[in-house]
Amino acid sequence: MPAVRASAGLLRRAQSLAALLGILLLAIAISPTASDGSRIFLEAGNLTDILRQVSLIGIISLAMTLVILTGGIDLSVGSILALSTALAAMFLTRGYTTHIAVAILAAVAAAALAGALNGVVIARTGIQPFIVTLASMIGVRGLAKWLTNNQNIDIGFGKDLAAGFAAIFREKAIVIGAYAGAAALFWVVLARTVFGRHVRAVGDNEKAAEYAGLPIRATKIWVYTLSGLFTGFAGVLYAAENHQGNPNAGVAYELDAIAAVVIGGTRLSGGKGSISGTIVGTLIMGVLTNMLRLNNVDSNVEMMIKAAIIVLAVAVQRERNGN
Amino acid sequence: MGHNRSLPEHLQAVGITKRYGGVYALKGASFSLRAGEVHALVGENGAGKSTLARILAGSTRADSGAISIHGAPVEIATPLDAQRLGIGIIYQELDLFPDLTAGENIVIGNLHFPEGRLVSFRRMEEFCRPFLRQVGLACGIRQTVATLSIGQMQLLAIARALSMDARILLMDEPTSSLFDDAAERLFGLIAALKQRGVSIVYVSHKMDEIFRICDRATVLRDGETIGTVEMAGTSVNELIRMMVGRELRMTARAARRVAGELVLAVEKLATAKLRDVSFELRRGEVLGIAGLVGSGRSELGAALFGLDRITSGTVRVQGELRAPRSPRDAMASGIGLLPEDRRLEGLMMRMSVLENATLAVLPRLSGLGFIDRRREHASLAPVARQLALNCASPAAPVRSCEEISWQAEAPAPPSVNPAMSAIFSQPVSQLSGGNQQKVLLARWLLLNPTVLFLDDPTRGIDIGAKQDIYRLIDELAAAGKAIILVSSELPELLRCCDRILVLNEGRVTAHFDAAEATQEKIMSAATNAGAGA
Repeated sequence: MPAVRASAGLLRRAQSLAALLGILLLAIAISPTASDGSRIFLEAGNLTDILRQVSLIGIISLAMTLVILTGGIDLSVGSILALSTALAAMFLTRGYTTHIAVAILAAVAAAALAGALNGVVIARTGIQPFIVTLASMIGVRGLAKWLTNNQNIDIGFGKDLAAGFAAIFREKAIVIGAYAGAAALFWVVLARTVFGRHVRAVGDNEKAAEYAGLPIRATKIWVYTLSGLFTGFAGVLYAAENHQGNPNAGVAYELDAIAAVVIGGTRLSGGKGSISGTIVGTLIMGVLTNMLRLNNVDSNVEMMIKAAIIVLAVAVQRERNGN
Repeated sequence: MGHNRSLPEHLQAVGITKRYGGVYALKGASFSLRAGEVHALVGENGAGKSTLARILAGSTRADSGAISIHGAPVEIATPLDAQRLGIGIIYQELDLFPDLTAGENIVIGNLHFPEGRLVSFRRMEEFCRPFLRQVGLACGIRQTVATLSIGQMQLLAIARALSMDARILLMDEPTSSLFDDAAERLFGLIAALKQRGVSIVYVSHKMDEIFRICDRATVLRDGETIGTVEMAGTSVNELIRMMVGRELRMTARAARRVAGELVLAVEKLATAKLRDVSFELRRGEVLGIAGLVGSGRSELGAALFGLDRITSGTVRVQGELRAPRSPRDAMASGIGLLPEDRRLEGLMMRMSVLENATLAVLPRLSGLGFIDRRREHASLAPVARQLALNCASPAAPVRSCEEISWQAEAPAPPSVNPAMSAIFSQPVSQLSGGNQQKVLLARWLLLNPTVLFLDDPTRGIDIGAKQDIYRLIDELAAAGKAIILVSSELPELLRCCDRILVLNEGRVTAHFDAAEATQEKIMSAATNAGAGA
């Protein structure tokens, strides 16, 4: 009996992996070929490009997984990312500091603060997370635009502080490494720590969590703070990669992050989900995008295909889980 | 009690089988109902009673089997089919729309109420009034359901079934949330319906009720029909033997306990729902709380556990003044509470047995925020053994384990055996009600509070698990815990408690030594304010 159950669990987990594998095989099969006959999709450069491209959404979706596990949602991540890019660029280009670390710290701290504010309002007032983060999605975007006068702040290619920052943090190895590191961290937090257990318990049954004496408010404040903090870090990477602080960056990122989380099998109503699922969900979207672009599929068609994939992935998981 | 032997079989179900995944909920079960009889459907939790009721009501589809009414085969694929065939069901967790009015709840989806394009409250009122009068429910047609009491909601659900012209009424544990007065009214109604030739299928755990109001009983065990008996020709013990497949004596009341030091002193306690409640509790004592639903019995727990604000009065735990403002606070002062509704207030249904049990003591089982899984397992193992949790697998109920499970004195083996480990990782949603309650009890045993408030711990669980919980209460008291026990079942209070406090409208109306208390005395104190002891 336990063996059966264990293998059923493995099957379920393997199933989103199988979906990823299927898309990988399809991508290989239909990949255009280079002049020497090799498949472009399989080139090391292309594969690492995929990882780099998914890294920002990937990092955001890790923290989003915890938020959703508590039964919440964070719509403000796109705006927080924009705030972070803007602050990083301002600190780097306007002579506020001579240290790259200070600029990064300022951007990440502001983002974490915005997240903490979400968390405090949600935990203290009991207003639905959707509404609170919808408000901060609007407000933080406004803040980013106000701080920058709605202008992009360019980060040059010369030898100044900003250019040095961009040169380091747009390195593939740094970006992918940051994602891998964050993924490992979140996996450990969710699977092994008391905090992770509390996150799942609060999302599973908040009333029961109260009766069990769990720190519900602290748990909520922490997940939104983490969401802000890691989104801020993604914003720093964005600024380096795009050589600018952009108050209009990150539009609709919250939707991509949520999509990755639900494709990974996490219930939008909370209580059930995993970091490994979210990683697989992120990779599925990344490989799909890459495959379609290599084959010159129209980007509008790409959106329609992605839409179908999201519904399909969740429908299959519902069927298997029998709920 | 009339015997309708001459009446024909009204409804017959043969070879009903239903599987969920690999587990059989029903395995070729059969059932037959005569016109105008009250027919009990009994069995332990997980025996398949509710599944059978749901299949007859069209809310669950059988995998195989045949159902006939008056000898003609019928198909009941949807609740609407059931309604056409005159079958109504009153679910344990009433399926009413809380935000709609009483009238709307009756007419919605009702084939006998021809709906116009616009809602006419006048027509609705005309249609509903006779049925409300028939069940004796005095509420307005336009009253929102959420404002009714549970007893009233139940009557409304019955009125709805009657308005659908139900000739067969299925009731799934209708008295599980009613205290004796509301239950009494329900029994009167059942008798009246029977007079009018309505057949009633009565799913219940409560033997006294079954023997009082039913004509026959069908016993299910592990999804199979064990047999159907005339109530007049059987006994409680006989029925229980059929249900559990072994002899199970109702355990006798524990010997008078020796009370220890004073651990809880409540004086003139008041909240929004309580007035002037005073009592004392000593180590090794079990204090029973009796009262109707809404009398303040659960609210007393809410006040002690920091859920309701205390407006005046004092609570002293081991001599120290405490006014818990949250459950967390209360737990820190040594007070625990097993909530009334284990699904809503107790368990994380998507988490495992182990995760649910250790939830409140995780800091103790971890270092630097990391959970020590070996310690987590090891901490639950002895508690699980004490609770007989090793009977947990619903697929293969191992009944013989009961004999070994209560040898709590035997030293626990140091390692966790693989079978137990498998149970620990099972989601609680797959357990029977009794085992779910044990998981929740395990949480409190691990936390080990000085005062434990048990709010109706045996509600809706089977007889075997009930006995386990009674014995656990005895053991905890013997180990020096102070226990407050709320129960809707008076025999249970008389069986388990040393003293019994009766609440009525938030006040203490009587305080009995359990040896002197009788069901009659408790009932009169619970219903007549001011009738003190």
